Amino acid sequence: MAEVVLQGVSKSYAGRPTVHAVDLAIADKEFMVLVGPSGCGKSTTLRMIAGLEDITSGRLLIDGREVTHAEPQKRDIAMVFQSYALYPHMTAYRNMAFGLLKTSRLSKEEIDQRIREAAEILHITHLLDRKPNALSGGERQRVAIGRALVRQPKVFLFDEPLSNLDAKLRTHMRGELKRLHKELGLTVIYVTHDQIEAMTLGTRVAILSQGRLQQVGAPMDLYMRPANTFVATFIGSPEMSLLRCALKPNGEGSLVHHAAFDTRVPERLEASEILLGVRPEEVIVGAADAPAMARGVVERTELIGSEALAEIRLGEDRIVARTPVMSAPPAGAEVGLNFDMARVRLFDAATGSAMPRL
Amino acid sequence: MATLQDPIEMAAPAFSGPRWRSLRKVIRANGLHALLLPLMLLWISPLVWIVVTSLKSRTEVFDPNAGFLPAVLNFSNYPAALAVAPFGTYMLNSILATGGILLGELITITLAAYAFARLNFPGKNILFTLFLLQIMFPIYATFITNFLTVRELGLVNSLPALVVPFIASGYGTFMLRQAFRQVPTELADAARLDGCGHFGILWHVYLPLVKPTLIAFSIIAVVTHWNDYMWPLLVTNSEQVRTLPIGLGLLAKSDSGADWTRLMAATVVVVSPLLLFFVVFQRRFVDSFMHAGLK
Repeated sequence: MAEVVLQGVSKSYAGRPTVHAVDLAIADKEFMVLVGPSGCGKSTTLRMIAGLEDITSGRLLIDGREVTHAEPQKRDIAMVFQSYALYPHMTAYRNMAFGLLKTSRLSKEEIDQRIREAAEILHITHLLDRKPNALSGGERQRVAIGRALVRQPKVFLFDEPLSNLDAKLRTHMRGELKRLHKELGLTVIYVTHDQIEAMTLGTRVAILSQGRLQQVGAPMDLYMRPANTFVATFIGSPEMSLLRCALKPNGEGSLVHHAAFDTRVPERLEASEILLGVRPEEVIVGAADAPAMARGVVERTELIGSEALAEIRLGEDRIVARTPVMSAPPAGAEVGLNFDMARVRLFDAATGSAMPRL
Repeated sequence: MATLQDPIEMAAPAFSGPRWRSLRKVIRANGLHALLLPLMLLWISPLVWIVVTSLKSRTEVFDPNAGFLPAVLNFSNYPAALAVAPFGTYMLNSILATGGILLGELITITLAAYAFARLNFPGKNILFTLFLLQIMFPIYATFITNFLTVRELGLVNSLPALVVPFIASGYGTFMLRQAFRQVPTELADAARLDGCGHFGILWHVYLPLVKPTLIAFSIIAVVTHWNDYMWPLLVTNSEQVRTLPIGLGLLAKSDSGADWTRLMAATVVVVSPLLLFFVVFQRRFVDSFMHAGLK
């Protein structure tokens, strides 16, 4: 068991709060991704879990034991840093052995065995005698992961470990991390600002903004049922379009009025103004003269290989639609638009919170 | 039909034959040496002059008709110079004083630089400004207060008197603090996770990474204190604790005027350990200065 529990964990610098009372429970063998834009507090949260930053208030439990103010080496964790943080004057072998020599009572033979095993798993046996400056970015990353693996800690912390790698290597290392997590049954807390990494790696994803936890859930849950407009626009690329609409009760449901269209939703909602959240794949683009919910003018079309993204002006708003390349409308064309109303999200315009849908 | 390009094309082979090409190659390969050689001779000339004079006879030094090189190699100046004062004791004192200062400085500047580079404590900036201020004071400005302190401590005319005032160095602290600040903080974080405290981080991470700066500082410190004349002159008054530069001073200030040949012989003795040290570790020193960004 290696459950990590954050209870109202906060961080302030000189009285200015940067992380606000985060409550989060990470289950054993879970791959939890903390994601959010720069400065959202995700790295600070990870560093508080690691013990590299003091927790201003709240409690932190690892494996049921309170470690809120424990020294980093007493928390039974290992961390992989963005810059790898390999000691430049030590060989890869020595880098991996260093922590064990300092914190464990293992014999040299046992340490050697652990290093050889980790090196085998990470395919770096041939690199053990090299110093970090003789290794490529990907190799350094593997050694850094190896250094964490040999410790056999309860929890692995990763702080944007792939951001210094090129796109191809990043994809490859993503696969490797996923494999390691599955094969070795690791409990991982992983920080990234890259939503693709968050969506592909995490068993659950926690989204932070301005030091506050916005939503925690399985990746597809966040995509399909965002809790607020921040999550809705942060997850998904291109981001969800938000159309400001007026709302009026209409029988059992509500009437949604936008400058460019009127429609109905089956829910009877209290708000007078809402944001209609539409993902690019939920916009169906048709000919201008075909029956449609709304009509708009294409401002520009981007062909991105397998598909096209069309930015369409709809009254005062702009909406992005995903279309097949062959039927991509040219810029300037007038088009008819239909929305997949069963899938669009409704948000309270005043609070930004999602409104329940039937 | 002749074109404007023809004369150029015809002339070109005259300067691109194998002889010209090899000459150009030689010039290119040795151009830097040709530039540096006169500079090197200029720098080394005082040392050559010292060695040459130390091998001349007393009359030869002042004879305008004598050549630059000694007519006969006169090694007797060396034992004669060493007989004037107990240079063996002076040498030992110089080694002990310089070594003691260096050791003390390395310990204090390492700890102070780490505190200034990586720790947060109240008054840090004011304290660091004071350290910087200390660099700006000429060392002679503090001589009187240092002397009074040393006298109060009852250390006058002892080896500790030569060492104690110099075991802290504002310059060294500043230099090392800058070097520590270049070390990524993530390395210190990694070391903390690997079970190191502040001393562990310093010993296992910071110090190995700033070795070039430590060597560069050590050279500056050794040369400065090895050659220091004024302070040892001020706090020593017996032969048992005097250092080599004081011994040189004795020769220079003989009642009968400076005895140049013996003085030069003694100078050779004084500078030889440093020169030997530099020759042996030349490559390492040069690398250190390059890495430490000092010239």
